[in-house]
Amino acid sequence: MTLNTALVGKEYDEVPFEVERERIVQFADAIGDPDPRYRSEEPIAPPTFPTVMQIATGGQVVLDPELGLDYSRVVHGEQEYVAERPLRAGDKLTATPRIAEIYAKGPNEFLVTETIIRDENGDVVITGRSTLISRGTAS
Amino acid sequence: MSVAFDDLEVGDEIPVLSKVVKREDVKAYADASGDQNPLHQDDNFARSVGFPGIIAHGMFTMAHLASAITTWAGDPAALKRIQVQFRAVVYMDETIEAGGTITALDPTTRRATLDVWVRLERAGEVEQPIKNAVAEVQLS
Repeated sequence: MTLNTALVGKEYDEVPFEVERERIVQFADAIGDPDPRYRSEEPIAPPTFPTVMQIATGGQVVLDPELGLDYSRVVHGEQEYVAERPLRAGDKLTATPRIAEIYAKGPNEFLVTETIIRDENGDVVITGRSTLISRGTAS
Repeated sequence: MSVAFDDLEVGDEIPVLSKVVKREDVKAYADASGDQNPLHQDDNFARSVGFPGIIAHGMFTMAHLASAITTWAGDPAALKRIQVQFRAVVYMDETIEAGGTITALDPTTRRATLDVWVRLERAGEVEQPIKNAVAEVQLS
């Protein structure tokens, strides 16, 4: 193992993120989904838009010097989103990542990160669960 | 248009949504998502780690699958849970097809559970960039 399993359960700093209309429209255009609800004056966001937040807030996990992850060896293995409601333009949210699991299987290591996205009231809006595969770093 | 729970049966299939994956779309996705990994933009880098050229982001393919589901459901807010495994890469100019089958219908919650997937054909073989994936859709 090169990943530090002592970090399982570590919760990282909550990171603020405001959902901007322009980002939603840009994302909808990039995925090629023509749904007009992604382009109204007050649009909702596509179901996988939370990846924007995960990328914006996940750096402190994958770059954590204590973790020992070589990002050039990483591929995305699994992804899950559970949504209480869609994200909307104007949402003032926070994302809190946590290392849920680290394990090895064959030549690879697996890093499972859970990110909880909450609204201004502290209510959970989206839960994201992401598995990154660190290729060839086991043993 | 949206589907009605009472009209559905286990085994029903949702319409397949196809698209050709273009380099400029993957670049646009990198900019929109913030994932600027060179594996999705730089052919030389992709070759240095064993691929013949750049590959699409897994999340690009998952977004297409989500679009197939929300287009069928008629409401983006209806998609309550989606869980996927990325099982094969997608190269530029390949045609990805997203679809799914209803595996369970809960009349109490009016939720449909679907087995969903993304497939493509490469050199006469079927590849499955996303397989064994699950979606839960809230219907009215």
